[in-house]
Amino acid sequence: MKVVLTIFFLVICMSIISNAQINVKFEQYKLDNGLTIILHEDHAAPVTAVSVMYHVGSKDEKPKRTGFAHLFEHMMFQGSEHVGNHEHFSLLQEVGANINGFTTSDGTTYFEVLPSNFVELGLYLESDRMGFLIPAMMQVKLDNQRDVVKNERRQNYDNRPYGTADEKIAKAIYPPTHPYSWPVIGYMEDLSAAALGDIQDFFRTYYAPNNACLVVAGDFKPVELKPQIKKYFASIPRGKDFERPKAVPVSLDKQQRMAFEDKVQLPRLFLTWHSPENNTREDAVLRVLDRILSSGKNSRLYKSLVYDKQIAQSVNASQSGSEIAGTFQIQVTAKPGHNLIEMEDAVNQILSDVLKNGVTEKEIENALTATEVQIVNRATTVLGKANALAAYYSYTGETNNINKQMDFFKGITPEEVLTVTKKYLTQPNMVLSVVPLGKLELAAKKGE
Amino acid sequence: MKTMMKSLFLGIILTTMISFTMNSQEIDRTKRPVGKPAPKVELPEIQKATLKNGLKVWLVERHQLPTVAFNLVIQTGSDHDPVNQPGVASMTADVIDEGTKTRDALQISDVLESIGANLNVGANLDGTFMTLNILTKYLEKGIDIFSDVLTNPTFPQKEFDRLQKTRLTSLMQQKDQATTIANNAFSFILYGANHPYGNNPSGTEASIKSMTTGDLVKFYQTYYRPNNATLIVVGDVKMNDIISILEKSLTEWKPADVLEFKVQMAPSIEKMKVYLVDKPGAAQSEIRIGYPALARSTPDYFPVTLMNRMLGGQFTSRINLNIREKRGFTYGARSGFSFQKGAGPFTASAGVHTDKSDSSVHEFLYEINLMHEKGMTADELEFVKKGMVGSFALTFETSAQIAGVLQNIILYGLPENYYNTYLQNIEQVTLQDIDRVSKKYLDTSNMAIVVVGDLAKIKEPISSLNLGDIVVCDTEGKPLP
Repeated sequence: MKVVLTIFFLVICMSIISNAQINVKFEQYKLDNGLTIILHEDHAAPVTAVSVMYHVGSKDEKPKRTGFAHLFEHMMFQGSEHVGNHEHFSLLQEVGANINGFTTSDGTTYFEVLPSNFVELGLYLESDRMGFLIPAMMQVKLDNQRDVVKNERRQNYDNRPYGTADEKIAKAIYPPTHPYSWPVIGYMEDLSAAALGDIQDFFRTYYAPNNACLVVAGDFKPVELKPQIKKYFASIPRGKDFERPKAVPVSLDKQQRMAFEDKVQLPRLFLTWHSPENNTREDAVLRVLDRILSSGKNSRLYKSLVYDKQIAQSVNASQSGSEIAGTFQIQVTAKPGHNLIEMEDAVNQILSDVLKNGVTEKEIENALTATEVQIVNRATTVLGKANALAAYYSYTGETNNINKQMDFFKGITPEEVLTVTKKYLTQPNMVLSVVPLGKLELAAKKGE
Repeated sequence: MKTMMKSLFLGIILTTMISFTMNSQEIDRTKRPVGKPAPKVELPEIQKATLKNGLKVWLVERHQLPTVAFNLVIQTGSDHDPVNQPGVASMTADVIDEGTKTRDALQISDVLESIGANLNVGANLDGTFMTLNILTKYLEKGIDIFSDVLTNPTFPQKEFDRLQKTRLTSLMQQKDQATTIANNAFSFILYGANHPYGNNPSGTEASIKSMTTGDLVKFYQTYYRPNNATLIVVGDVKMNDIISILEKSLTEWKPADVLEFKVQMAPSIEKMKVYLVDKPGAAQSEIRIGYPALARSTPDYFPVTLMNRMLGGQFTSRINLNIREKRGFTYGARSGFSFQKGAGPFTASAGVHTDKSDSSVHEFLYEINLMHEKGMTADELEFVKKGMVGSFALTFETSAQIAGVLQNIILYGLPENYYNTYLQNIEQVTLQDIDRVSKKYLDTSNMAIVVVGDLAKIKEPISSLNLGDIVVCDTEGKPLP
């Protein structure tokens, strides 16, 4: 089969939009098997990142089969047909590379940051596990990695204070069939139930070149790299098309309240609202709002609860937009001697004030400056750029959005912040109280 | 282990290749790509200047991004906390940016928020660090606020009271975290109450309660001096531009004598003991095994680092391959030497499934003893050497990494040509060196074992390993009656 490299997309940005907005030049094309290739040259250091993102995450799982996407990520490091058990790691560690992978609700990314003379090794290994994983998949490896993942769950969720709050919230605010209703790490009983056949099916469906993009960023010459990419990846067969979960409107009919006891010293309140998905104007507006509420000493919630009244140890507001839905969440940890009824009242007071009087131009300006700095800082490493290019391609279909990150934030006014805040934060929310063992009386109760 | 790499390799060559490929353009996937010649690693060019007040300024220019990173390295950290008053260095760092002669806490924060900058001040055992990252367009504003906080702090009572309560609450919250309990108890058990490394650098309830603003002012006036510090600047600026601004803004910062300080000798452990801390209902046990080991100044730095890389310093280390990849007892197991100004600890650590606490301790000791007795193979040494040499290319990618490299040189008084001779120092290490350092620094009979977990479930199985006396401790590592 002759593979023709088709350059269907070439972007060279000459203009810098604002003083600090980043300008990541890249070249993008597709192989015949549907694999998208994105190349970004940066010769500042002799370092090259190879990053492969598969557009599959926990939201593609089915109920009772949770945790698959992430368990699968672990299996991808266990060798492939031409790469022995542990050899994936040892070949890369022998050349001094940094290696990892990560799974979210929407995507799974694998990467290695290599001394630039070894970039071909990265291509070889990524292509072998993309094309030749199944012959190397064995029950013993699955059993081992299942235990490892169960320990990951124990370490980062079950044995961590407040560690299971997020999954309780997700379960409460989404209907049970909604793919964001279960945790990325999965439930213990589902991890126990995962069988080799399930794992192989998962691979066949989602780990196809047409559901992936390969990003190489750093110190290489495209003219040398492109034939190598073709050599290693072009022969991997295209996979079948499949249906991706679509955004369906979600809302709460009425406020939900829940409290549970945990092995913690202090009670913590979680207020959660449904909110817009990522890469939307409203997502950007709510990101501005979350900074206004809890970023810096002068932010609304911090100044009131932590600095002035000193009733809270910490407070954090965050808009987290994922691919098909988002949440806006406020977390407050009470200081000793204070309860969550007080916390909820204090938060509501601040929110009422925002809803009544709005926010200021200056607050928006500070939030935008901080956003700009964050965008620049994420572009300091070739890996950061590679992962961002992959994410913008996969989630927006428009890789060049990496260079337009500030566009979503342009011209946000106090009126707009008020409108969007009203639209989402006056809807029914979920109120979760996590309290120390035996201290349910500290929980936030229904208003008297 | 000797043949791990080889046998896997051979196995693959011998396997008959089932034709699974579907391209006409056959590629032989049993052949691994070989690297091209190693790229030249450009060492950052350090420009140096000294201000009139004696402050040394080290600058590395980088113009790829419109940002500048400042890191003031003060050569005094929690190691200077009086043993009866731990937490002074870190509280001084916490309160220093809460008020100056002309700005209150909210005004300082307001300036920083308006330029999107983060000013952080923090202390570790070896030093105190004041860092600021800004966009180049805010250079003057950034230096202005940085200098104001550094030279004109007022340590207001009101802010101290607030942060004292906050600190007491965080000390309470530390009891939630099994990892923090394990780290604190381990330090205390290794070094004791009379050594600065034995205490919690965040302080204790008693020490924080008894602390006053006077203690912080004294610490500040004694140690925050230009002759006791170096300012690292990395980013989109030129020396001339910053020196003139700094001379003006730091003119009131005066030098003063700072007494020479040497971290006292660490106590040694006579024989192995097992310390258990109860965390009822814990899903995992946190294991720490080690002893007070080596200072950064050790001449054995390179052989020890290579030896540890194979033992527990990377994913493919013996410890991780055994306890995680072979047995699935943990999400990750590791070991490391924490080289500090004084003798920092060797620590082997993991969070393991409660039921596997005793088996994990057993496997840790097996791997440490094996390295102690047999050292490593020539293949293994080659493997870790190549890895360490290769990763050198990844050391100087970002401004933050470069600032970190400079900080190491400054803090630990490394030779200025340290990175010029770095690769050579790795290459020179021989198997005999590895044998010598593994004999010398991995004697488990001089180590303590600390396990934080569900006592009711772990005490008996661990006791039956018969490793030494069992001591049940509180969350700070103090033996319970």
